[in-house]
Amino acid sequence: MRGWFRQHRFALGSALIHLRKSPSGFLLNVVVVAIALSLPFAGLTMLDNVRPMSEQMSVDPEISVFMKINTPREQATSLAGEMRKIVHDAKAKIVFIPREDALESLKSKSGLADVLNTLGDNPLPDSYVLKLNAFNSATEAQDVDAVAEQLRQLPGVESAQVDSAWVKRLAALLGVLRLVLLLLAITLGVAVIAVVFNTIRLQVMTQRDEISISKLIGATDTFIHRPFYYTGALLGLCAGALALGAVALALQPLNTAIAEFARLYASEFQLVPLAPLPMAGLLAVSAGLGLIGAFLCVQRHLARVN
Amino acid sequence: MIEFQHVSKQYSSDAVALSDISLSIAKGELVFLAGPSGAGKSTLMKMIAAMERPTSGKLIVNGQDMAKLKPAGVPFLRRNMGLIFQQQKLLNDRSILANVMLPLLVVGAHKVAAEQRARAALDKVGLLDRAMARPLSLSGGEQQRVSIARAIVNRPQIILADEPTANLDRASANKVLDALKAFHSVGVTCLISSHDEQMLDAAARVIHLKNGQLVAIDKATEAPVFAPPDPDFAPKPGQHDVDAQGDEA
Repeated sequence: MRGWFRQHRFALGSALIHLRKSPSGFLLNVVVVAIALSLPFAGLTMLDNVRPMSEQMSVDPEISVFMKINTPREQATSLAGEMRKIVHDAKAKIVFIPREDALESLKSKSGLADVLNTLGDNPLPDSYVLKLNAFNSATEAQDVDAVAEQLRQLPGVESAQVDSAWVKRLAALLGVLRLVLLLLAITLGVAVIAVVFNTIRLQVMTQRDEISISKLIGATDTFIHRPFYYTGALLGLCAGALALGAVALALQPLNTAIAEFARLYASEFQLVPLAPLPMAGLLAVSAGLGLIGAFLCVQRHLARVN
Repeated sequence: MIEFQHVSKQYSSDAVALSDISLSIAKGELVFLAGPSGAGKSTLMKMIAAMERPTSGKLIVNGQDMAKLKPAGVPFLRRNMGLIFQQQKLLNDRSILANVMLPLLVVGAHKVAAEQRARAALDKVGLLDRAMARPLSLSGGEQQRVSIARAIVNRPQIILADEPTANLDRASANKVLDALKAFHSVGVTCLISSHDEQMLDAAARVIHLKNGQLVAIDKATEAPVFAPPDPDFAPKPGQHDVDAQGDEA
């Protein structure tokens, strides 16, 4: 086991020695790979920032039923059974929201408590929120509209509003963005592999004599390949770290611009860098891409060196 | 130790490098391979080092039938050999000490132990005081002595020297030959190829090749005299099998 570690330490040392011999070439490759990685990393950071917002919003169809302001409480509460019959959904969640609770909620969430207090009487009606199961098809989505129409016909009901359509659209948009990001990541991942492949190929060419001599003195293929694997992984790792750093830096000016925009909506939304765990994951992926590039190159080119 | 049984090597229909060679070299023997350029000396040596495979016939090296040797086994076979070439094949971007250490690092030796041993090998060829010099700052003869030090540092059982004195002046060639003989004297089997008739040693067996064919074998006129074994550089059979375990994966 100690011999195994020694061999790996030697391979890593050997890779570092060769990198030190041409640091500018290595750094240039790191920058190229980092540029390729920074695009998907930036996209992932954006999605990661937007994801909590979209998760807070329900993507299940939701219908808000508002009673007429003068509907007696007894009549309003007695409608729950009727509503369940209309929705034909035993799992549907039907929540009655008394007008007092609605007012309290509005006061606490909107920051308009002072304004609402000046109104004197509670302007809000009793209401119901019906949480149905998610749409499985366009037909089901249309069914929700039909259900809303039937709810509107109930006695004492002022209006019924399907709330979740725009949330659904946002979720669909995020899904498309995720797919675009995935395709971008795959394309740029291939580009990273190609860059590493070429870097290692050049290194194999410059180390041709060393490889040839190593073979003659009894070096195994594993021994010869290992430093190139380390070089590829190091290239990926350094480029990944640089890309993450660049994305984190780019968030600063973006946040300045976003802060102005968010203030208009009384929001304090800010873009934050990825958490340490996803960052470590991206670094591992970067190193892995470098390793794959090195592996493909070594398999293709080293066998030809005798 | 090395046995050729009707071995032929043909690169193409009109390029026959070796034709029906049968000979054997015993353990601890010093053998010269003589013949003009193109006689097949290098091909014969390359086959022993598994750099070439026989087209026909049987070649056994160190008990290993070379036809059955898998590519993964080649490095382990070579670890029991010291290879010396006409072009010294030294790495010019590092010191001669680093060059000599390389075979030890390849088998997983500790760096400190490898350095100690490489210094001892350089001392044996009289170049310890130049340990940190780069190969290109040495003369051709000195470079060849470095390649000898690199060849013997791993205590090989066989030394294969392909035209080690070509391109060297007589004095340098003699020094190289003396160094080789010194390691032969501790029991290492040595096969030295040369087209220089003056280099051939009367105390050694000489195999003459011409146009890929064995034309004569001159037996040694006297038995080689072995010096008392040098514990530092005497070959140790099977030593690398253990070292090799740490080299995989």
